[in-house]
Amino acid sequence: MKLEKYLEILPKSLWVTTCNSGSCNGCDIEIVATISPRYDIERLGMKLVGTPRHADVLVVTGPVTKYMTERLRRIYEQVPDPKVVIAVGNCGASGDVFYKSYNLDGPIDRIIPVDVYVHGCPPRPEAIIEGVAKAVLKLERLRKDLVKASVEGA
Amino acid sequence: MTFLNISQDIPPVPVPAGEITARIAEVFGEGSVGRIADRKAGRDDRGWFTDLWLSVEKERFLEMIDLLAEFDFPHFHVISGNDDGEAVTLHYHLSLFRLAGRGERVGVTVSVPVYKTDLVMPSLFSRIPGVEYSEREIREMLGIDFDGLPNKALIFLPEDWDETIKPWRRDETGPGADDVRHLS
Amino acid sequence: MEKKYKIPIGPVHVGLKEPITAWLDLEGEKIVGATVRPGAIHRGIEYMARDRNPIQVIYLSERICGICSFSHIMAFVRAVEDAATIPVPPRAQYIRTLVLELERLHSHMLWAGVACYTIGFDSAFHLGMVLREKVMDVLEALSGNRVNYGVGTVGGVRWDITPAVAKSVKDMLRYYRREFSPFYDVVTGDPIALARMRNVGVLTYEEAVRHTAVGPTARASGVRCDLRKTSPYEAYGDFSVEAIVPQDFYGKAYGDVFDRFLVRVHEVYQSLEIIDHVMEGLPEGEILWEKNLNKVLAYTKKAEGTGIASIEAPRGDDTHVVHLAAGDENVTWWKVRAPTYANAVSWPLMFRNNELADAPLIINSIDPCISCMERMLITDASGEKSVVTRTELLDKCREKTRRLMGK
Repeated sequence: MKLEKYLEILPKSLWVTTCNSGSCNGCDIEIVATISPRYDIERLGMKLVGTPRHADVLVVTGPVTKYMTERLRRIYEQVPDPKVVIAVGNCGASGDVFYKSYNLDGPIDRIIPVDVYVHGCPPRPEAIIEGVAKAVLKLERLRKDLVKASVEGA
Repeated sequence: MTFLNISQDIPPVPVPAGEITARIAEVFGEGSVGRIADRKAGRDDRGWFTDLWLSVEKERFLEMIDLLAEFDFPHFHVISGNDDGEAVTLHYHLSLFRLAGRGERVGVTVSVPVYKTDLVMPSLFSRIPGVEYSEREIREMLGIDFDGLPNKALIFLPEDWDETIKPWRRDETGPGADDVRHLS
Repeated sequence: MEKKYKIPIGPVHVGLKEPITAWLDLEGEKIVGATVRPGAIHRGIEYMARDRNPIQVIYLSERICGICSFSHIMAFVRAVEDAATIPVPPRAQYIRTLVLELERLHSHMLWAGVACYTIGFDSAFHLGMVLREKVMDVLEALSGNRVNYGVGTVGGVRWDITPAVAKSVKDMLRYYRREFSPFYDVVTGDPIALARMRNVGVLTYEEAVRHTAVGPTARASGVRCDLRKTSPYEAYGDFSVEAIVPQDFYGKAYGDVFDRFLVRVHEVYQSLEIIDHVMEGLPEGEILWEKNLNKVLAYTKKAEGTGIASIEAPRGDDTHVVHLAAGDENVTWWKVRAPTYANAVSWPLMFRNNELADAPLIINSIDPCISCMERMLITDASGEKSVVTRTELLDKCREKTRRLMGK
């Protein structure tokens, strides 16, 4: 079967995996809050999955410690294409309060490409949902591009 | 040999902080007792408990811990430390009578200077196994070796860390300008 | 002969000094040994602080851990107040106590929810998270933020309790007194939950004392330690708080995961009572020792000394030590001892003789902020590798629940 056939079958609601690369946990509990009944991200068809291999979206938090740099790259590579990376929290986007340290390699976009930034320290669950909604648009576009490239290539 | 008998059936017998300082001064000299801080709390600013600051030379450090253990099993909080030039000063933060009644805990800090000519401290591991993480941390951050600590692997720094760099030191072994990233 | 395995769990574990890689030695399903390697999230916070003044460090210390953020602020600020001898007005002491207890509420509920999730009790997890949102609303009413509140500062607090906040606190107390016990009954009355948590991850009284366990982890082993009782700080000086140990309620302390659950549940009720005391006794007056931050900084710049503060955070005692040098506007050095730092030493003991399926639950039981196991790598004797994902491990954990249900 051709690639575009796969891509036609594959579109589905977003599956999200998270990676904490050294954050304070604040963003991570807000991500947990988004799956709890009040914010309930699952009603939009999104869910958290435990492994990057099943995910469309990689949510990364934290300023990336040296210990995590290589591991973050590995996790990124395990997410199948087309994929979108969301950096949640200020420290992942710019370092924020974490500067002048001997053990940081970040911010995240220095290690892996980032598509959506969600700001806030930590961002509210609504902001995280908005970020994921933006990721949907980006993912649609990436998917179309892939189909187009595959058709043209054939 | 295990350090002290610990049992749920032995209730702690708290003594006032003054008795502890008197005993310390008797054995280690008046100079070993530093600041005695009375901790106040509540709307009436009532004094509740005491924090003691003691100091001792490295050779008699274990002796002081054993002396404190005569009162109660010393609950270990953490070791803090700073590079003071000639010596790295370690501060052992302990609590006595943390299982006693209301307001009866006595916080004890034991400060020990470790001179850079001989950066080895006796380990407390055989007495209080809970010191493991703290001693390993001080070992990698300030470059002090602990005699008697079984596991001396890196604990917080990444596996490929250059062990000649000691992040908290302020002399040439500390991190240089190239080792520190500014991010934003 | 049973195959021996060595399995790393982690490294993605959340929080400062709490991210942990645990290497488990297995014989079949049984864990026979464990070594723990933290360090994934070591950001060098204590080093960063050398270049910042005490007010800047407040916001750094808030970001040590997103769940016990206020506890870290409190410990740091109290250490600075100790080093520089700064008094705190009584009303500020009461507000601090209120926020500390609110934080304990949301932390314990999060933990209870996540523990249920780990054993596959999803409905209880969602129930716990629904309950937790109410205290988040109160924190938001008070400070405008849900996670890092920015309430504490040197010499007092930044936000006052307005009538609207007082009302939301009252609503919350009424809500929890009505709604919390169903959650508690659902979990403790469940025979499967009991079977999954009883006698799992046992830490004896003596081990808890020797390995310096703190907080609910120590109390579940029967150790009567609570800094709110033995060294009252802030408003705890005005009313007594008793350490909650299982033997007072159930006659015996097992020191297992179930006891840790019970201790936290009873602490939720205790916190509600403390909040009642705080709201009744709230004194009038100033909430800050000095409103002008520049004056505060000028004062701390002149101060010379080392200050220490230990407070009872949701997970156990949190100790901060700060040194200020005269003429230096920055913090000279600072040491943080988060409660998990002390509790993690006991992990290898808790793992002994448990099954692999219980590993997530045991790691969770000391409340290391949140269990976030990313991947596990199984290496068997022949050197062949296979990857066990978090999902598979969780499935294994849940599969055990189903097995027990079948019996």
